[in-house]
Amino acid sequence: MKMEWWWAAGIGAAALILLGGFYLLVDQGVLANPVLYLRGRMSALVIWGGLLGAVVLAGHLFQITRRNRLHRTRIEDIQAEFRDNRRRFTRRLDHELKNPLTAIRAGLTNITSEPLSEYVEKEVAAVESQALRISSLVADLRKLATLETMQLERTAVNITELLEEVIGVVREQKDLQDKSLTLITPNAPWPLPVVQGDPDLLLLAVHNLIENALKFTLPGDTIEVRATEEGDQVLIEVADTGHGILEQDLDRVWEELYRGSHTHGVTGSGLGLPLVRAIVIKHGGDVSVRSKHEQGSVFSLRLPVRG
Amino acid sequence: MAEPNAKLLLVDDEQAITERLQPYLTRAGYQVRVSSDGVQALELVETYLPDLIILDVLMPELDGREVLRQLRLNENWTPVIMLTQVGESSERTMALLEGADDYINKPFDSNELAARIKAVLRRANPGQPPLTVAERLRSGDLVVDRVRQRAYLEADEIELSPKAMALLSYMITHPEELLTRERLLDAVWGWDYPVGTRTVDTRIAELRRVLADDPREPSYIQTVTGQGYRFIGEVEKTT
Repeated sequence: MKMEWWWAAGIGAAALILLGGFYLLVDQGVLANPVLYLRGRMSALVIWGGLLGAVVLAGHLFQITRRNRLHRTRIEDIQAEFRDNRRRFTRRLDHELKNPLTAIRAGLTNITSEPLSEYVEKEVAAVESQALRISSLVADLRKLATLETMQLERTAVNITELLEEVIGVVREQKDLQDKSLTLITPNAPWPLPVVQGDPDLLLLAVHNLIENALKFTLPGDTIEVRATEEGDQVLIEVADTGHGILEQDLDRVWEELYRGSHTHGVTGSGLGLPLVRAIVIKHGGDVSVRSKHEQGSVFSLRLPVRG
Repeated sequence: MAEPNAKLLLVDDEQAITERLQPYLTRAGYQVRVSSDGVQALELVETYLPDLIILDVLMPELDGREVLRQLRLNENWTPVIMLTQVGESSERTMALLEGADDYINKPFDSNELAARIKAVLRRANPGQPPLTVAERLRSGDLVVDRVRQRAYLEADEIELSPKAMALLSYMITHPEELLTRERLLDAVWGWDYPVGTRTVDTRIAELRRVLADDPREPSYIQTVTGQGYRFIGEVEKTT
């Protein structure tokens, strides 16, 4: 083991004191009247001893904090390596899937250029829609990988307007089936602060949450989109009175391709929520969820006002 | 250019793809030669003299980017469609320097590829660098500096959001072409959003406002109802 500097300093200081003591012993006639001599020299000894102790203690404390720091860096390294691995994996998966998919789709186009029997036409259409489904899964995986490395193009985003817009889009695109979809944003004493971010990505994040809520609610249920200012953050919540999430699933809903234990029969890629999380984290914010089974869920996004 | 009989060179090491696309493109009226690697592709460019090259990026030996680089280094301006994605702004700048005429990402639809081939052939000036490699383009009073991502109207710099700037830069390099919202999303945003059409429309509205372009009598951006947009201004390279 390499000798640390505070040990060297400590040993050096101890050697000096010993040598000094030996010198005094021989030269100053300590032996003749040791009690008297020591009484006279006590204060000097206390100072020297204190200094020596301080040097060793400081070194020791320094070593502890350095160890902690090394430990933390190591954990960060492992996390970064894990992220890199996953990114590489996604990139390879993307590459390995997109070539066969291109060939499959080109082949299907070739088949449909000839007159077909009704049966073949129906089957080809079914295969084509599944090929498109895999294509969109690949595209979503790529989005996730891109999000982690891309540079955000930030502009000033008016969250109130963004939420109004996304609700407008959802109303246009989806059949709400007697579900109530409402937006609650503050106006008094002042409206929501402006957030620095990519409006398209933030719109996508909130859109995914509302789409998710629509999937896990029944006609007659309520979906509330709420936003408030909390310190130097904007909190956006999408709450619903739907199925809720089982407790054992709660931690996992943000994971890629995770499907909750009672989501069978509900369509989705399993990438909607991970994408939301990736977008929010990219903006320096964070996500959370709370839920009660059979009562409903609240998905929360926190975005820093100063990116 | 004699478009119906144009000669295409399809370069991809994936036989499963070239064997499907070759008959498709032949049916579409083109002559098609296939090459499975970059070195052979460069030789074929000299002997077969294609009107357009469809170039995959990831290939063993000599990859697509290197093939393109060598072509352009030799002042060969045969139009090239690269089979890869250009979404992020860093990639867009790189793509500009790279010298491809267009990009289409796998997995694509054969019909979409055919539409791109047609558009690139129509736009191409034989022996001339394409608009996509020009640093500065002019259309009427509008000048777009594609490297610095800046735009000027009657010599005054105009202020655009980054996405609107990227959108303008893409549209001005594809004049007279029908640009569907899906295609603009793919080329400028890098992916399709579920809220995508709205996203494109918002940025187009921003461009029109800043360029003072009346949608009813446009000098730059025309709406193609139900389909997308078209950049209708006359475009030339400038310094």
